[in-house]
Amino acid sequence: MKTVIETKGLSKTYTNTAVPVEALKDISLEFKEGEFTAIVGPSGSGKTTFLNVIGGLDKPTKGKVIIDNVDIASMKESQLFDFRLKHIGFVFQAYNLIPVLTATENVSFIMLLQKRPKEEMNKRAKEMLEQVGLSDKLDVRPNKLSGGQQQRVAVARALASRPDFVLADEPTANLDTESAFNLLDIMARLNKEENITLVFSTHDQRVIDRARRVITLVDGAVDKDETFDRD
Amino acid sequence: MAILFTLAWRNLWRNKRRTLITVSSVLFTYLLAVALLSFMGGFQEQLTESMIRQDTGYLQVQDAMYLDEPSMDHIFEYGEEVREALAHFEDEIEYTVPRIRGFSLAAKEMSTRPAMVNGIVPEQEDQLRDLSGNMVQGEMFGMDDEYAVVGAGLAELLSLEIGDTIVLIGQGFQAVSATGKFRVGGIIEFSIPEQNNTMVYLPLEVAQWYFAAGNRLSNLLIMTGGKDQIRPLAAQIQQELDEEWYAVRTWKEIVPDMVELMEMQRLVYSLITWVFYIIVGFGIFGTILTMLYERMREFGILLSLGMRRYKLAMVTLTETVIIGLLGVFTGITAGIPLIYIFHRFPIRLSGGMADYMYSFGMEPAFRFIMSPGIFMTQGIIVFVITLFIGLYSMRKIFVMDVLDATRS
Repeated sequence: MKTVIETKGLSKTYTNTAVPVEALKDISLEFKEGEFTAIVGPSGSGKTTFLNVIGGLDKPTKGKVIIDNVDIASMKESQLFDFRLKHIGFVFQAYNLIPVLTATENVSFIMLLQKRPKEEMNKRAKEMLEQVGLSDKLDVRPNKLSGGQQQRVAVARALASRPDFVLADEPTANLDTESAFNLLDIMARLNKEENITLVFSTHDQRVIDRARRVITLVDGAVDKDETFDRD
Repeated sequence: MAILFTLAWRNLWRNKRRTLITVSSVLFTYLLAVALLSFMGGFQEQLTESMIRQDTGYLQVQDAMYLDEPSMDHIFEYGEEVREALAHFEDEIEYTVPRIRGFSLAAKEMSTRPAMVNGIVPEQEDQLRDLSGNMVQGEMFGMDDEYAVVGAGLAELLSLEIGDTIVLIGQGFQAVSATGKFRVGGIIEFSIPEQNNTMVYLPLEVAQWYFAAGNRLSNLLIMTGGKDQIRPLAAQIQQELDEEWYAVRTWKEIVPDMVELMEMQRLVYSLITWVFYIIVGFGIFGTILTMLYERMREFGILLSLGMRRYKLAMVTLTETVIIGLLGVFTGITAGIPLIYIFHRFPIRLSGGMADYMYSFGMEPAFRFIMSPGIFMTQGIIVFVITLFIGLYSMRKIFVMDVLDATRS
């Protein structure tokens, strides 16, 4: 299987604190195409920092993040904007939909920034919203949707542009059990159908139980890297 | 680009009340500024028109030294040279008004008073300012008559009545002694006391005889179609005349103090409008800052998703510009009929204020000027202010840390 993300000796130290904090310590990992991976660990273990660094939102202090044969750690900010737009889908803990856009517009937004043709965009947005079970909410704005529905729109948004991989930072943290299971079912199905690599940071056991690979971080270092057969 | 506008437009209406209050503040400031400047423009227009009609004309031909020393020693010969020079510009010149004027002593029996003796052509003065309309007794003379018309105040001071004789003693051209005895054929009333108490009018030729001035004039007022292009016209007429003897002056050159006063007034009014703009500028700035800071997280997310900073900055700039433009366009929509009403139906004054206006020979009413220039200029100023505020929000977007913003 093709390697989608590779990190080599990744370290991140925050120096803007009273005492320098080593958030990531020499992490070398590979993520293959179509993998469903959960990054787990206690609070402060470096899960979010790891996701931010491989998502090009933060720069490592040391090491490389190789995606599509390019080390994104050495990219300029303007290149990173384009890189994120083209290759990465994000799902955030607090949904973070654009409140003034409808569900369809939110899902189309990234494709719009990618300058995809309008017809393709609308078709894909509707298709994705149908896949996440929101075909009756196409023209509804986020404030009229429940938390679970908003997060499903966020997943549709992340997947609509067919990115190389999706990074999800604790996507079920704010959801009730039913919504969380519903979302996980959808993500698992899309992971299979669209063959998109999913990397979650989570300490939600419901997510961990679905992941085929679970990487445990402790104090910024990889403690365990386990693979499970969920089929 | 359509999505950027859509985002900006919908963002503005996320908090309708706040946006409407901000737009209203721009609207009312714009209206205040336009009303203030239209009022001032109207007042100055009235003042200028009154001065041009009463005193200066748009242009004047004078003796080259008359402006510095307006006396009988500096009157000019109104002969062929001047007539021919003006004949070249008959398309531009509507009519001329010749005048000779000098101070004298007016006396009746044992009473004497200072007087301003004016030699005029009544038909031309009437065309300029309906002088005969101010007659309260007797009749305005014709050019074949030889009697005098005196100001009502002077008539009262000297106990003059129609048919009485007034004696004038003064200095004529080149220090010749000017003396004359004239029948009072009419009494004229002015609202300006200085005019009322001193004016004596004689037919032009009679006055020229009295001052031993031959065909000389103190001033030849030139009336054109309006104030535009009078400076180049003055220069062109001057080219036709000998500079050593003649000067062609615009009304602004004749009354520089008045022009300075009007400039000062304009400056004060402009300062007041700028105070308005500074206040509303801070109002818009406050709104934009609030809108900016309450959406920091949202901006962080948009940038995380791959939206370029300049696009996001364009959204915030568009929001500011929309506020400004909405304020200005509603201001123009409301302002045009409002100013038109005050232009068409001026604010009428009464009592002391009316007398004060009358004393300047002005209609006692504040008539607002309808000037597209005022609407445009104020609109542009508001637009530039909002643009400037928009630049601040743009700058914030450009220096924003994406991660910090997503965590905010």
